[in-house]
Amino acid sequence: MVDDKIQDTAAQSLEFSTFYVGGALCGINILNIQEINKNFDITQVPQAADYVKGILNLRGRIVTIIDLGAKLGLEPVTESKDNRNIIVNADDEHIGLLVDAISDVVSAGQDDIEPSPSNIGGIKGKFFQGVLKTEKQLIGILDIDEVLKE
Amino acid sequence: MFEDDETLQMYIEESLEHLGDIESDLLTIEEAGENIDLDLVNNVFRAAHSIKGGAGFMGLTTIKELAHHLENVLGLIRNQELIPDSSRISVLLKGFDELQTLLNNIQTSNETDISNHIQALEKITTASLPKEKLEGKQDMTPRMMDIVLEDGRIFQQVSMNDIEQAVSEGKNLFLVEYDLINDIHRKGKNPVEVLNSLQKTGTIIDARVDFDSVGTLDHTLEPVRIPFQVLFASIIEYDMAETLFDISTRFIHAVTDNMVTASSSTRPDASHKTMEMQATQDGTENRPAAPVQDVLEQKQERAAPAGASAGEVQTAKASAKNGESEIQLDQKPQSSLRVNVGLLDTLMNLAGELVLGRNQLLQGINSANTKATELSSQRIDMITSELQEAIMRTRMQPIANILNKFSRVVRDMSHQLGKSIDLQIIGKEVELDKTILEAINDPLTHLVRNSVDHGIETPMEREQMGKDATGKITLKAFHDAGQVNLIISDDGRGLAPEKIAKAAIAKGLITEQQVTDMSEKAKMELIFLPGFSTASEITDVSGRGVGMDVVVTNIQSLGGIIELDSTPGQGTAIQIKLPLTLAIIPSQITSVGGERYALPQVNLNELLRIPAAQVKEKIEKVGDAAVVRLRGELLPLLNLAQMLGIEKTFTDPETLEEQADRRRNLADRRSKKHLTNDDGSDAGSVDEQADRSGKDRRYRASSAMNIAVVSAGAFKYGLVVDQLHDSEEIVVKPVGRHLKKCTAYAGATIMGDGKVALILDISNLAQMAELATVSEAGQIARAAEKAAETQKDKAALLTFKNTDSGHFAAPLNLVERIERIKTADIERIGDKKVVQYRGGALPLYELSQVAEFDPLPEKELQEVIVFKVKNRELGLMVTPPVDTMEVVLDVDENTLKQPAINGSMIINGHTTLLVDIFEMVKILNPEWFVQEARTAADIAQNGEKILLFAEDSAFFRNQVKKYMEEDGFKVIEAEDGLLAWELLKERADEIDLVVTDLEMPNMDGFELTRRIKNDPRFSHLNVIALTSLASDAHIEKGKSAGIDAYEIKLDREKLIAVIKKYLHLSQK
Repeated sequence: MVDDKIQDTAAQSLEFSTFYVGGALCGINILNIQEINKNFDITQVPQAADYVKGILNLRGRIVTIIDLGAKLGLEPVTESKDNRNIIVNADDEHIGLLVDAISDVVSAGQDDIEPSPSNIGGIKGKFFQGVLKTEKQLIGILDIDEVLKE
Repeated sequence: MFEDDETLQMYIEESLEHLGDIESDLLTIEEAGENIDLDLVNNVFRAAHSIKGGAGFMGLTTIKELAHHLENVLGLIRNQELIPDSSRISVLLKGFDELQTLLNNIQTSNETDISNHIQALEKITTASLPKEKLEGKQDMTPRMMDIVLEDGRIFQQVSMNDIEQAVSEGKNLFLVEYDLINDIHRKGKNPVEVLNSLQKTGTIIDARVDFDSVGTLDHTLEPVRIPFQVLFASIIEYDMAETLFDISTRFIHAVTDNMVTASSSTRPDASHKTMEMQATQDGTENRPAAPVQDVLEQKQERAAPAGASAGEVQTAKASAKNGESEIQLDQKPQSSLRVNVGLLDTLMNLAGELVLGRNQLLQGINSANTKATELSSQRIDMITSELQEAIMRTRMQPIANILNKFSRVVRDMSHQLGKSIDLQIIGKEVELDKTILEAINDPLTHLVRNSVDHGIETPMEREQMGKDATGKITLKAFHDAGQVNLIISDDGRGLAPEKIAKAAIAKGLITEQQVTDMSEKAKMELIFLPGFSTASEITDVSGRGVGMDVVVTNIQSLGGIIELDSTPGQGTAIQIKLPLTLAIIPSQITSVGGERYALPQVNLNELLRIPAAQVKEKIEKVGDAAVVRLRGELLPLLNLAQMLGIEKTFTDPETLEEQADRRRNLADRRSKKHLTNDDGSDAGSVDEQADRSGKDRRYRASSAMNIAVVSAGAFKYGLVVDQLHDSEEIVVKPVGRHLKKCTAYAGATIMGDGKVALILDISNLAQMAELATVSEAGQIARAAEKAAETQKDKAALLTFKNTDSGHFAAPLNLVERIERIKTADIERIGDKKVVQYRGGALPLYELSQVAEFDPLPEKELQEVIVFKVKNRELGLMVTPPVDTMEVVLDVDENTLKQPAINGSMIINGHTTLLVDIFEMVKILNPEWFVQEARTAADIAQNGEKILLFAEDSAFFRNQVKKYMEEDGFKVIEAEDGLLAWELLKERADEIDLVVTDLEMPNMDGFELTRRIKNDPRFSHLNVIALTSLASDAHIEKGKSAGIDAYEIKLDREKLIAVIKKYLHLSQK
C-alpha cells in the first residue's frame, strides 16, 4: 500500500537505502524501513529455518532477524563491525534483515528503475523489483514481500 | 441507517447485554408458570423495549419490528392476559435468539427475513385475546394512534396499548423533541445515553428522528435542527419536565387525550410532515402476506424527496469519515470491554505513581545518589507489580457470562430429549481472563451437552433406579491454588468402564490386551482418545464423532488440565483446572547450550538433580530411550539439547555419561567457531565471555544431571537441561511468522537483562519426540511385563558384588542373614578362614575360591552373607551394596557358565551372575555331601522312584532335574501342564510323584493338579507345587485344586525332603 502511495504522489523521486549483501549492492525503498541498528544481542532459535539468525528484543517487541545473505541464497553474512540490522515493517510485523554493511541513500525516479535480469550478483531475479543503474554501479532493488516469504 | 459507529456499537453492546439477562429471566418466568413475577416480566419487557427504542433510532427496521412483537407478547404476560407456558416461552426465546443474531450481524439485519418469528408471535397475541374483544375491536392488537401536535405535525403510529397502559398507571405523557445537534452532540452526550437516563424516571414509548423537519441542505437559513423525538411516559408533572429533560419547554409537548387520534390504517404517503426512517410496524402487521410490496414501498420512500434529506445527512457523515466507514462495514467491529470505573481510577493512580517513581529515579541517577536510586527502584518495582495486577483485572470477566447460557442449553436439550433436568450454577462471580473465557466456551458446551444427552437418564429410567425423576447437573466454579477450577457434575448413569473399553477395542483404538491391565479410571479415560464417541447412535444433540478429545486438546492448549471421575449409576464429575491468565505466566528458567529457555510452571511437576556418581545407576535404558526411575515409576527422558538439535554431530547415544562427554567437546568446538565469527564485532567480547562461562558450566554439568519433570496432558517426562535457574514471572510475547513452524516454542519472552528467551511448548516437544503418552507407556510396559510374567517366573534374589565390578545374585530363601564383621576377627586355620560367631566357628569363603574371580580386597570391615546349607552355616564374603529384589528369572545358562554359577542374567542393566550356593558348597566341602550320595545310591538300588516334573522355564527345569537326579530320582520332564498330562496318561504306572510349576503356558499347575486329583486313575498321586513366590492367595487356590505341598524352586534341600516325605523314604 505504501508503494502505491509513493507512485501516486511522488513518482519522480524515490529514495532507496542501499546496503551490501555478499558483495552485491542492494536497495530497499526507504519508506519500508523502520530503523537500522547494530543490536546483535540475538537469541538463537534452534530448529528454525537456516536463514533465521535469531530473535531480538527491540524495545519490548520480539523481532525475527533474517540473515539476508542466507535468505538470498548466498553465503551467510560474515560477522564484522560493519554489520547492521535493517528493521523493516511488513504486514504489521517488524522483521530485521542482517546485512554485511550499509551504504548511501540513493534518490531515483521511478523511470530509472529497469526490469531485473534473471540473476544479479548470484542472487535470483525473483527477489528483485528491478535494477537501478547509477554512474558507478548497479543497485538491485529488493522486493521485500518476496524476501520475507517464509 | 444510522452511521455513527460509536453510537451503533454502544447500542449493540448494550442490547446484547440486555439479551444475556433476558434469557435467564425468561427461563425463570417459565418455571414460575402462572405465578407471574411481575418484576421479572417487567425486566424483560423493559429490555425488549429499550432494544426496540434504540433500533427505531438507529434505523434498524427488522430489529425494531421483532422487538416490538416480542414486547407485545411480554405486555400480555405482564397484564396477566397470557400464561407463560413452555411453548410460548420457547417462541419468545427463539425470537430473542433471532434478535441476538440480528444484532450480531447488524449490517445485514434489515435484509433478514423474520416473518416466521413474527407470525409465531402474532399467533400468540391474537390467540390470547378474548373472543368478544377480537370481534369488537378487530384492530386491537396493533391499534395504532397518531399524535397530532399543536403545530400540526403528526407523531404517528403509536401503539394505543402503550398509551393506555401509561395513562392507567397514572403517568403523564410527553413528546420531547431533542435536537440531535444542540442538545445531544454539543453537550457531549449521545442518544443512547439520553434514552438510558430517561428510562430511570419513566418509560419510553417510542423514539424517532424526525428527518422531515430537517429540511434539505438547500434551505439552511434557519439554524439546522435534527429533532429527535421521544414519546415518554412518567409520573413527573408537566412543570417539572423542563428540569428533567434539560431542554426548553418549547420542545416539550404534553400529550393530552385529544391529541391522540386513530391512525389511518393505510400507510401514510410521503407528503406527511413526519417521516420515519424505517417502515413502521403496522405495515407488515396489517399485511403480513405482502412483504414484497412493503419493501417496494420502502424503497420508493427512500428515493422520494424525504429520502433525499435523510440521504444527505448520511452522505455528509460518510464523506467526513473519508471512506473508512465503508471498509469497516464489512469487518467485525472491534470488540470492547466494560471496565469498572473504580479499577480505572486505580490504574490512573498507579500511572501517577509510576511517573513519580520515574522522576525520583532520574533524579537519583543524575545526582549519583545510590540510596535514592535504590529506593526509587524499589518503589517502581512495587508499582509495576500493582499495575500489572490492576491491568490483569481489567481483562478479568465473571464466568457467569458463559455459565448463564447453559440454563438455556439444558432447557432446550432436555425438552428435545424428553428429560427433566435441574441445572445448578455455583460460583458465577469467579473471574477469568477474557481470552480464556472465550476459549472454554465450546469445550464447556460440549461437556454440558454430554451430561444432558448421555449422562442424565430419562425420567422413567431414573424412577426405575430409585432416583428422583428430575436429574441434576451442577456447574461449579471456584478458585483454588491460583487456578480456576470448573466442575461439571451430573447424577446420571455415569460411565460404564467395560462398555467404554469394549467400544474402544471395537474402534481399534486400543487392544484387548491393553484393556485387561487397565484400572476402571483408565478405562473411563479412554473417552479422551481421538475418535471415540460413547453414544451408541450419534444424536443431533451431542456427539458428532469429534468429542472429548477436542475438549481435551482445547483445554490443554490453554494450559489447563481435565480430570474425570465417575461412578456407574451415580453420576459423572469432570473437573477442569485453568490458569487465571495467559498473558503473564510463572515459569522455570532453564538453560541449554548457553541460551535460556522458559518452562511454564503449569507444566512443571518437580526438579530432579542426579549427582554424577548416581547418573549411571539411576538412568536406565529401555530400548533406545533413556528413562529414570522416579519413586518406582519409569519416566522417559528427553534431552532438550538433542531435541533442539543444538549438537548436530551428536547422533548415536550410548550411555548418558558419554553424552555429557561428547557434549563438552562439542561445546568447545562451538565456542571456537564463535570466536572466529565474533572476532572484531561489538558483540564479540560478550559472546566470547558467555561461551567461556558456558564451557565452565558444561564442565560442571557433566558431573550432575538436571532434569525438569514436566507433564502436559497425557504426557509426562523428564526434560534434561544443562542448568536450572530461578522461577520467574514472564510476559508471553508472540514470535514472528518465520518461526511459526517451530512448534517447540510457545512464544518468547524478554528477560531481565533485555535478552530474549524462548518459551518451551512441553506438549509439542513430547510429540516431536514421539513420546508415548503416560497411559500408553504404562500400558506397553505393563503388557510387556505381563507377557513376560506368564512365560517366566519371578524369584526373590539377593544381589551383591564380589569386587567393585562384578555383580552377583543368590536365591534369597537360602540366606540366613547378612553380617558385617571386622577383618581383624578373621582367623586363618590352614587354608580356611573362620570367624568366631555365636559360640561357634563360621567358615568364610569368597567367590574367588570356587571360580576365576578377583580376590576380595582387604578392608577393615567385611560384609558376609550367611547361608544355611545342610543345617550348617557358612559365610560368603562379598562387597556391598547388598540388596534384595524380585526379578523375572531370564537366565542365560551358557554364555557365562562356570563352576558354582548357574548362569547370567541382566538385572537393572548389569550383567549379573547367579551363584549356585549348593554347588559352591559342594566344591568347597565335598565331604558334606557324602551322605546324600549314599542315600541316592540306596534309592537307586531299592527301586527307582520316578518323578514327573512339569516346568516351562528351561533354566529351572535343568536345575531342579539335576538336584533330583543327584538325589537318586529318575525324572520325566514336561515343558508345560498339557504335556505333563499327556505323559502322565501314557506312563501312569511308572510315575510315583508329580512335581509341577504353577505358572505355565497351555495348562497351568492348578489345572494339571485338578485333573490329576479328579481322575480316579491318578488321584492317588501326590502333587508338589514349585513356585517362586508363594502368596496366600496362591496357596488357597492351590489347596482347592488339591496341591499337597508348596516348595520354593531354588530351595533344594527342602524340596528333596518333601519329595522323600511323600514317597515315604526315610531320611537317613
